[in-house]
Amino acid sequence: MLSIKNLHASVGGEEILKGINLEIKAGEVHAIMGPNGSGKSTLSQVLAGSETFQVTEGEVTLNGENLLELETEERAREGVFLAFQYPVEIPGVSNLQFLRTAVNAMRKHRGESEMNAAEFMKHAKEVSKQVDLDPAFLKRGVNEGFSGGEKKRNEILQALLLQPKLAILDETDSGLDIDALHVVSDGVNALRAEDRAILMVTHYQRLLNHIVPDYVHVLAGGKIVKSGGRELAHELEERGYGWLGVKDEEATASSTAS
Amino acid sequence: MKSAPTISSAFLEPAGNFLPGPLLELRKQRGTALVNMPLPTRKTENWKYSSRHLKLSDELAVTLPSSGKEGTSLSLPGYRVVFRNGVMVPEASDFPDLNGIRIQRFSDLSDEDASALAERLDNTLDSNAVQMARVNSARFEDGLFIQLDKEAVLDQPLFIIHEVTASSVGSAYPRIYVDAARHSQMTLVEEYISSGDEPVMVNAVTEFVLAEGAQVTGVRLTLEGESVQHIGATGVRQAATSRFEHHTVGFGGPLRRHDLQVRLEGEGAECKLNGVVVTQGKQHYDNHTSIEHVAAHCDSEETYRNIAADQSHAIFNGRIHIHQDAQKSNANMNNKNLLLSTGAEIDTKPELEIYADDVKCAHGATIGQLDKNSLFYLVSRGIDRREANTLLTMAFINELVEQIPVEAVREAVQLRLNDFFNQTFQEA
Repeated sequence: MLSIKNLHASVGGEEILKGINLEIKAGEVHAIMGPNGSGKSTLSQVLAGSETFQVTEGEVTLNGENLLELETEERAREGVFLAFQYPVEIPGVSNLQFLRTAVNAMRKHRGESEMNAAEFMKHAKEVSKQVDLDPAFLKRGVNEGFSGGEKKRNEILQALLLQPKLAILDETDSGLDIDALHVVSDGVNALRAEDRAILMVTHYQRLLNHIVPDYVHVLAGGKIVKSGGRELAHELEERGYGWLGVKDEEATASSTAS
Repeated sequence: MKSAPTISSAFLEPAGNFLPGPLLELRKQRGTALVNMPLPTRKTENWKYSSRHLKLSDELAVTLPSSGKEGTSLSLPGYRVVFRNGVMVPEASDFPDLNGIRIQRFSDLSDEDASALAERLDNTLDSNAVQMARVNSARFEDGLFIQLDKEAVLDQPLFIIHEVTASSVGSAYPRIYVDAARHSQMTLVEEYISSGDEPVMVNAVTEFVLAEGAQVTGVRLTLEGESVQHIGATGVRQAATSRFEHHTVGFGGPLRRHDLQVRLEGEGAECKLNGVVVTQGKQHYDNHTSIEHVAAHCDSEETYRNIAADQSHAIFNGRIHIHQDAQKSNANMNNKNLLLSTGAEIDTKPELEIYADDVKCAHGATIGQLDKNSLFYLVSRGIDRREANTLLTMAFINELVEQIPVEAVREAVQLRLNDFFNQTFQEA
């Protein structure tokens, strides 16, 4: 489904991605791990179409279609969804309004009829339960006053509503307590489907205990230096990144304490 | 070559004589005092950004005809009075005859009442600061006098539709005077609209006098078209424990100017002034406000937001004057501005004159652009860029629009603003 070939990307003249190669098939769950500064978030953002980064070389295709040529909103409509590491707060735009506008944009693109306010409200309330969010949040501004955990759950809620083809989760577990981690993991696992691919970018291994990946890749210094099955995650947890010849800026060998 | 900029005598000639004697007399005096009045130029501080948008010509000085008896078929949730070119249209108006509430056009006032009114007109405005309002006083053809008796409560909002018909070149001078006695209450909605495309000028003055404990809410909507220059002034004087709330929603035009002056003259008086202004194309909008804390223990809260797109120009000048004996004054002024393009300009200036030493006075002014991260977040969910920009821009002012106390107005304004921004972002 997703094919990344020799992807190079920079920001402000500095090269972050130095030749990424990755193939993800429909139905698969991939995890990308790596030390801080390796380029993990950059990869997520570049796939989503962030204008902060410049792609200098390489190609990315989604189901054979050139993804790099599409604007962010077009990529989203083609089924790319990015769960942000730091979701932004937008007071003044209600969650309800935002979600409904997004869902209807997607439906319109797929040739489906748009949902009216009442229908959507009902649907949104139901899905909110799945991620343990009190439906009252719908009236508030997007992510306004949300805790870290609530923001991440709102990201998963959006994925559940938009039903993407490719879900990219950027450090979705960072800052989550155990309960929130479970809720988020359940939500992501509920997204698993034969025609869907999931790419998780994660710093800590513990998320992978809950969302068991098919493949694990290590991203370091802007390149994927090792790929393997789920056991690779355990090995990294025990041994850290050093044995790969990779310099780590922060101790990652121990699993997160919280 | 322009001659020295004083007002043309053409502007000092009213047309009709339908007003009662004392008001005709007042008008004549005002006119005489205006002879050789200097017109604002860019060297005139309070018009320095707007004088270039002010286009006065002798043709504009002509009084627009107050023709037509046909009503504007609006269904409004409240009472209404319709003015066309500054003159009331009774056939299109619909307001009750309630105990303790007088709603009467100037031309129907008895000489005695007119005389009393003539003593009070213009007392809420500082004529030096609001120069152009003086022209209204020399030219008004009619007006509306609203008087609430002690404790009278107007049970529904009163809509005043000021329509200018721009089917010929000229000007109109709408005038309103509200006298709210002790503990009376009312909500007034003024809508300034237009039809036609000839160049016209509207010069409107609205005055509110609140006695002790009175509560008055004013909503002012400037909705006129591209051929209309609009100059407005609202003057307010408040006695102790009275409360005045004002919401202004302004859409830009070739010239838009509003002066809002509030005097808090009795202890415990409060005012809350909200303003939302949006401009696009080459439009203009200038809000000058002035709040005088004359008495002690008064509260003022002012929140204005301007959004300027394309090459438009918005101005906000907020003056707060705390008098020497006005101890324990509490004044808050906040002006946030959003620039939607590099060609737009917003000028903001807070003016604080504080002469008492035990006061709280906070002011803030910011100018910014739409947040790129917020925009990326929205489009990353497949939302059309234009719609995303509109959502974010509306978000900037929603908070203020939501405070407009009349639901129908709030909804109509939201729709109109949405259309406005949708249009603005069309070529984005």
